[in-house]
Amino acid sequence: MSSAEDASDPPPSQSATTAEDRKAASALSHLDEAPSSSANNTSNNDVDHEAASKAASSLGGSTSKAPTSSATTGAAGAAAAAKKSVKVDAADVALLVDQIEVSKAKATELLKAHDGDAVAALRAVARG
Amino acid sequence: MPQPLAPKEAAQFRTIIRSFEDKQYKRGLKTAELILKKHPKHGDTMAMKALILNSQGKSDEAFPLAKEALTVDMKSHICWHVYGLLYRSVKNFEEAIKAYKFALKLDPSSAQIQRDLAILQVHVRDYQGYIQSRTAMLQARPQLRSSWTALAIAHHLAGNLAEAENVLTTYEGTLKSPPSRYDIEHSEAVMYKNSIIAEQGDYQRALDHLEKDAKHNLDRLAVLECRADYLLKLGRKEEAAKVYRLLLDRNSEHTLYYEKLEEALEIPADDVAARKAIYDEYAAKFPRCDIARRAPLDFLSGDDFRQVAESYLTLMLNKGVPSLFANLKHLYSDSFKKDTLREIAEKYIASQDIDSESKDKGEAAALYYLAQHYNYHMSRDLAKAHEYVDRAIEKDAKSVDFHMTKARILKHEGNIKAAAEMMNTARKLDLKDRYINSKCAKYQLRNNENEKALKTVGLFTRAETVGGPLADLLEMQCIWFLTEDGEAYARQGNTGLALKRFHALNNIFDVWQDDQFDFHSFSLRKGQIRAYIDMVRWEDHFRDHPVYTRVALDAVNLYLKMADKPSANGTNGVSEEDALEKKKAAKKARKEQQRLEREEAERQAKQDPNKGGQAGDAKKKDEDPLGLTLAATTDPLGEAMKFLGPMLQSSPKSIEAQIAGFEVYMRRGKYVLALQCLNRALGIDAENPRVHEQVVAFRKLLDNPPSDLPPKVVETLKAELKPADETADLSKFNEAFQAKHQASPLHVLSAIKAKLQLGADLAECEKEVAGLVEHANATFTDAVAALETLKSWRSAQVDAFRQAALAKWPNVTRLAE
Repeated sequence: MSSAEDASDPPPSQSATTAEDRKAASALSHLDEAPSSSANNTSNNDVDHEAASKAASSLGGSTSKAPTSSATTGAAGAAAAAKKSVKVDAADVALLVDQIEVSKAKATELLKAHDGDAVAALRAVARG
Repeated sequence: MPQPLAPKEAAQFRTIIRSFEDKQYKRGLKTAELILKKHPKHGDTMAMKALILNSQGKSDEAFPLAKEALTVDMKSHICWHVYGLLYRSVKNFEEAIKAYKFALKLDPSSAQIQRDLAILQVHVRDYQGYIQSRTAMLQARPQLRSSWTALAIAHHLAGNLAEAENVLTTYEGTLKSPPSRYDIEHSEAVMYKNSIIAEQGDYQRALDHLEKDAKHNLDRLAVLECRADYLLKLGRKEEAAKVYRLLLDRNSEHTLYYEKLEEALEIPADDVAARKAIYDEYAAKFPRCDIARRAPLDFLSGDDFRQVAESYLTLMLNKGVPSLFANLKHLYSDSFKKDTLREIAEKYIASQDIDSESKDKGEAAALYYLAQHYNYHMSRDLAKAHEYVDRAIEKDAKSVDFHMTKARILKHEGNIKAAAEMMNTARKLDLKDRYINSKCAKYQLRNNENEKALKTVGLFTRAETVGGPLADLLEMQCIWFLTEDGEAYARQGNTGLALKRFHALNNIFDVWQDDQFDFHSFSLRKGQIRAYIDMVRWEDHFRDHPVYTRVALDAVNLYLKMADKPSANGTNGVSEEDALEKKKAAKKARKEQQRLEREEAERQAKQDPNKGGQAGDAKKKDEDPLGLTLAATTDPLGEAMKFLGPMLQSSPKSIEAQIAGFEVYMRRGKYVLALQCLNRALGIDAENPRVHEQVVAFRKLLDNPPSDLPPKVVETLKAELKPADETADLSKFNEAFQAKHQASPLHVLSAIKAKLQLGADLAECEKEVAGLVEHANATFTDAVAALETLKSWRSAQVDAFRQAALAKWPNVTRLAE
């Protein structure tokens, strides 16, 4: 059933790229942190400025200690992985894409939500 | 890494950027050519050239050039940034975001790229991405208040209220001394924070914050309203009542304040006397206040109502307030009130001590009221309406209002032609009144007089607009005119111009969506955050606007007609008659186009050569002023989807939308989606006649499903079609429906149409439809529907039916068309 794998392939790779993007973005924000804290020392005369910068980096700290959030996305990923065990037939995905005019990803998701049963998925749509 | 340039060229490159920012496109291009002469493969310069070309409207040249720039310099953030900007300009936001992100990876310190990315993220509602971008921007510039506010907005929109509040609090903590009382940005930020606290449902804290931090807030009204609201929600009713009284002193015409005051004073809804006492108190306090006198009519009944209504009506009629009926018609759903109001007005006219000489007060006002009363759909008696309005006109033969009502009465009789003429008479009574001018144009459009209407409305458009009144109406997004204009063309079978208008309207809605783009940064700069949040939330559902549904339905129905008559597109099966018609239409259209071109040439020739040209250049020439390309589409159903998709998404509760959706999906062979529309329509109104027709059509399809339909789909469809299951005999099902709704002509009409689908004899059906003219409950609108049906069948009965119907309803314009 290599075709089935093909059908279920895109979502994980997609989530991986977004995760990668997120990582890259957070790396970028770390890059930013260093210069801003060093800039503090140079512009020491402006206390207001310093306070704001400090507060900003502390906020940044709170968001970058987002292992909590990344953990939740990880959990979501795990849940997705659990759902992944549902076998989705590529032919069914194609059927849904054609019949109800949704993207491949959305069709796969819909099929998974109905344990891979195409008729059940279609019926849910037709019910309105 | 951008390719390095020699100092001289580097300076030139900076000049290009400056030229671009100053919109000196020609100069920018010239400079770019200078650099490219020396360094033909300089990616950044090529990218800038592409950007300038795009701004000049040559996007078909810009894209290949930008791509080429990327291939020669893949690691340049400028090239990627430009690529993103190009995608943004063609509204491909997804690709634009990707390009921005790449550019940012290559140059993480660029504030400009970061800002462009952030704005686009909130534009497409990618809130998580927006939070990241705003966090990065805050870290780059923490000293700016707006950086903080923006991050708070990001969290707020993403639904994380606590974090949004935390961001604002953190910033406030860094302030050494509180900002000046007159700092408007601070004032707004405080109220914004307050709204976030309240949105979390923690009213006590919101109240505390309000009392502590918003004591001297510049937005006094918002502070008072919030305070009253929180106090009421916290059960501190006495204090809440005090604040509502304060608010009423500020504005005694605000209905909500009265209602809330009643709530705060804990007056039960059935204690009418106590409720009335509140309104009386304010009526005494503010002698000119209208609401305090009128609102009690909503809850009073019986003799109390009569008494109050009489004094209110007498007062208003003595004064001669033209909006009196409009202010009272909401009471008409109560039949006692409806009758009482009529009796009072009649009694008023009969009484001796009223002003019977005045042109707009006393008797004249009462006659005007009764004319509107009998014209209103809940109390309609058009003969009486005519009588009263004529008597009113006798009092003042020059009254715009009276003639306008006369026109409305004629319209309700179906005499659209006379109505348009009467409205024009009214318009001539006051040529400076824009309202009556618009009304007149609308009535002319209803009477299919497009050119006349444009001339009428053109009296009030900006005279110097290039392209005449229509161009001005388009620019001013005058949606009522464009809708009526398009519908009038559709009625006359001018598919091209009708589609032209409907697409123009669709574009206007797109513009409304794009308009928010500038506000993502503008609102922050101005610090108007609460209004901004309201706008973002409105933008998320603005296509549920009734005008959008109306236009989308018009367009979809027109495309359906085109799809059902493929010969009109010259694809197949051209009957001789159609071919002839088509030829004629094409000839007419060609003539029309030539005429337009001639006029354009004349206009240009007349124009002052010194100042001319410039304005003409700025406006893109419309390549298809008559919509001929739109009408020539070979895929009308695909085009219909452009209107149908957004409509079904934004107004799923509209039965008309679902009915139209069913028709389109059926013709496209998307049966699951058709059934979805059908089931939704059944959920809205299972007894709708059109829906009944569709149920029959669908059931019939399932008896003989197309052979290429996958078995899984057939199984789905059979399982989810509920009203007529497989075992049911369709003809009997249809007969039962007809018997059940015997009293309604439209239901009978649908049952006959269904019968024809089920194989009944056409001549028999035609006869039955023609017989509807004798139906006891038939109105002229039913007759128009029956006529349309016969026309669509190309029945020989059309003329006979028309005559019979016109004999019964002689002045109905739509029957004569």
